[in-house]
Amino acid sequence: MAQVHFRSHDISVEVEQGASLLDAARRGRIRLDAPCNGAGTCGKCKVRLDDAARDAAHVVDSAKLSEAERREGFVLLCTTLVDGDLALDLPVGAEHGLKILEDGQQIDLPLSPWIAKRHSPERDVTELLAGGQAIAEERGDTTPYTYGLAVDIGSTTLVAALIDLNTGARVNSGSALNPQARYAQDVLSRIKLGSTAEGLELLSREVISEINRLIGALVDEARIPRRRIYEAVFAGNTCMLHLAARVDPEPLGRYPYTPTLTGDAHLSAKSLGLAIAKTGLVYVPPVVSGFVGADITAGMLSTSLADLQGVTLFVDIGTNGEMALARDGLLQATSTAAGPAFEGMNISCGMRAARGAIERVSLTGGDVHVQTIGDAPPVGLCGSGLLDAVAELAVHGVVETSGRFTKNRAALPSALQARFAKRDGKPAFHLTDEIYLSQGDIRQVQLAKGAVRAGIDVLLRRNGLDAAQVDRALIAGSFGYHLTVRSLIDIGLFPPEFDGKVTYVGNSSQTGAEALLTHAPSRARLAELARAVEAVELANDEAFTKIFVAAMAFPRPERAALDDVA
Amino acid sequence: MSDDQRRLYEQLATAVFELDEKLATILAQEVLDRGYDAWQAVERGLLEGVNRAGKLFDEEEYFVPELLIAADAMYAGLAILRPHIKTHQTGFNRRVVIGVVQGDTHDIGKNLVRIMLEVAGFEVHDLGRDVPPQKFVETAIAVKADVIALSTLMTTTMERMGEVVSILEAEKVRNRFKVIVGGSPLSQQFSDRIGADGYAPKAAQAVELAKRLVGLSNAA
Repeated sequence: MAQVHFRSHDISVEVEQGASLLDAARRGRIRLDAPCNGAGTCGKCKVRLDDAARDAAHVVDSAKLSEAERREGFVLLCTTLVDGDLALDLPVGAEHGLKILEDGQQIDLPLSPWIAKRHSPERDVTELLAGGQAIAEERGDTTPYTYGLAVDIGSTTLVAALIDLNTGARVNSGSALNPQARYAQDVLSRIKLGSTAEGLELLSREVISEINRLIGALVDEARIPRRRIYEAVFAGNTCMLHLAARVDPEPLGRYPYTPTLTGDAHLSAKSLGLAIAKTGLVYVPPVVSGFVGADITAGMLSTSLADLQGVTLFVDIGTNGEMALARDGLLQATSTAAGPAFEGMNISCGMRAARGAIERVSLTGGDVHVQTIGDAPPVGLCGSGLLDAVAELAVHGVVETSGRFTKNRAALPSALQARFAKRDGKPAFHLTDEIYLSQGDIRQVQLAKGAVRAGIDVLLRRNGLDAAQVDRALIAGSFGYHLTVRSLIDIGLFPPEFDGKVTYVGNSSQTGAEALLTHAPSRARLAELARAVEAVELANDEAFTKIFVAAMAFPRPERAALDDVA
Repeated sequence: MSDDQRRLYEQLATAVFELDEKLATILAQEVLDRGYDAWQAVERGLLEGVNRAGKLFDEEEYFVPELLIAADAMYAGLAILRPHIKTHQTGFNRRVVIGVVQGDTHDIGKNLVRIMLEVAGFEVHDLGRDVPPQKFVETAIAVKADVIALSTLMTTTMERMGEVVSILEAEKVRNRFKVIVGGSPLSQQFSDRIGADGYAPKAAQAVELAKRLVGLSNAA
């Protein structure tokens, strides 16, 4: 056995020789991003070892480290194996100050929860009713204490709201990171891990424990006993629901991606390990398909998508860009594999939306201006900053419409010319001395935004519509919330015709879950709507490749900004 | 070969490389009108053009759209020239069976590799997407393939590649074929683990790999 001392966290862990430093950190319950789950392919768990630590470790080389980094003593936690006792510092908590969006557009519905209570004075007991059926009895009059929980299980973040079912009021709310991300970053990796019995057990236990911890914090603050929470609604994508409900997600990982759990189901909270009333229930809203889940159906409810007149596009911009097109109540939905670029993954200087992340970039006045989260010194580029940066580079002619860095650098203002440098022999554009965009980074953005735009274009085309006929575009989800319409149009993720028609609906998955909690009749209605939604499989659309390829280009800049450089 | 002939082939290559499908069509017709050799025009014009595009793709100068559009231009020219190719001197008689493994329908990456293999002179049998492991093996045996090329975009379907290798072993034909794998969730370690003969992180490298494995080049 060997001791690993994480000086930065003041945590010591004992591990067998040959265990990786990533394993050691996990055993010490230190939160770290390891999107590839220790496969050595993502390069995100980079850390610097001093000579003493290096001597006590077996370092397996990784192509993810540059020559310079190797010289400076950087290694990957996941490919560095412990030989003897050693001490190291981890980079400052990258997840410190992470932004989580808890709120979204709300729908006004009368109070009519699934759970109700009835006190009979003659026996002095309170009957607990679920959907009108008595399911339990409590001594005395407990009618004033009837609570429910609305949970949005995102692949990155968890949001929970404690609701008083007697009033419909939100008593308390809180958020946390989804701990599953420590083991498998993206949804497909989680499906893969969850396809084994141990993996499913692990992922399910992790997310339920974190929700339980969140509940603990909410009830402690509100001074309410846990056993007075009688129902939880779990909104989330199809995979997250399978994992939370401990249902094998394996079929979601292969065409035709058929879900086992189709939702609109009341499960026992106890069987899922959820720490609320023993007789408590968990309602899982309906899903449309393997990749259009209850987060989207909940959003359909909270935005009243099926009731809107005209043409409405609902888009959740993220790793899986889910979207729905509504035409006078007729809905089609699809999802696009945008990949992790929007979360700052697979980007040279990418990071999550945490303190010090560049979130705004502007190239006005002939030079680069950046704004960071918390106004901290810049340490990386998060998704919204990335989109801003690439949009500005395209508008100002630093990248061509094809996505390539311009060959005509001489036409750029001198301050911009000076920002080009070579990294690993390839051109890169510096936003700050340390933070840059490589040609490969811009290609990643093209793939991601091209995928979402292709989804939009395919849905429009199947309906014989063009972009100008769209009456409104709703942006859901926490990532989209931080984007500007200008950037979305400049980058070509949205067609220019959407200008002036965009509304941010926020975390509509969470508000939809709350609506389902407080208004039970919406459940059957939403289930009926979900069945009527046509799930479109983009890969099966004959025009998809052509549309996707066209969508990868950047629009020709039309703004006056280009005149500066012309 | 006359200077004029050479010039026309070069123009054809440039048209493909510069993604001008219309010009490639006009120039291909011109080759026929002047009575020049169709195969030479394909080899020195169309294929050369896609080759140059492929090089830029490898250097990140060109991206997926440019390569696919260059390929469109090549196929447009080929449609005109193909009926007039007299000799059967197409390539070097090495065959590849390619496809996206079962459970996955993402095929843009596979299509890029197919185009580049064709340009390099391989005879390519494309099984499309969502292809069962058994089908790769049956086809490879039937067409006497040299290489089996497997593609996937998804982490969840990559294990299917190992099944292809297992079936080859079970049917005692493993040593007849070289198995190569590619796709964004893959790595060299994965390739080694499932017992494939090679892994290529990028489309252009897949061609080099295939050539090396069938003994057409020694490049590493």
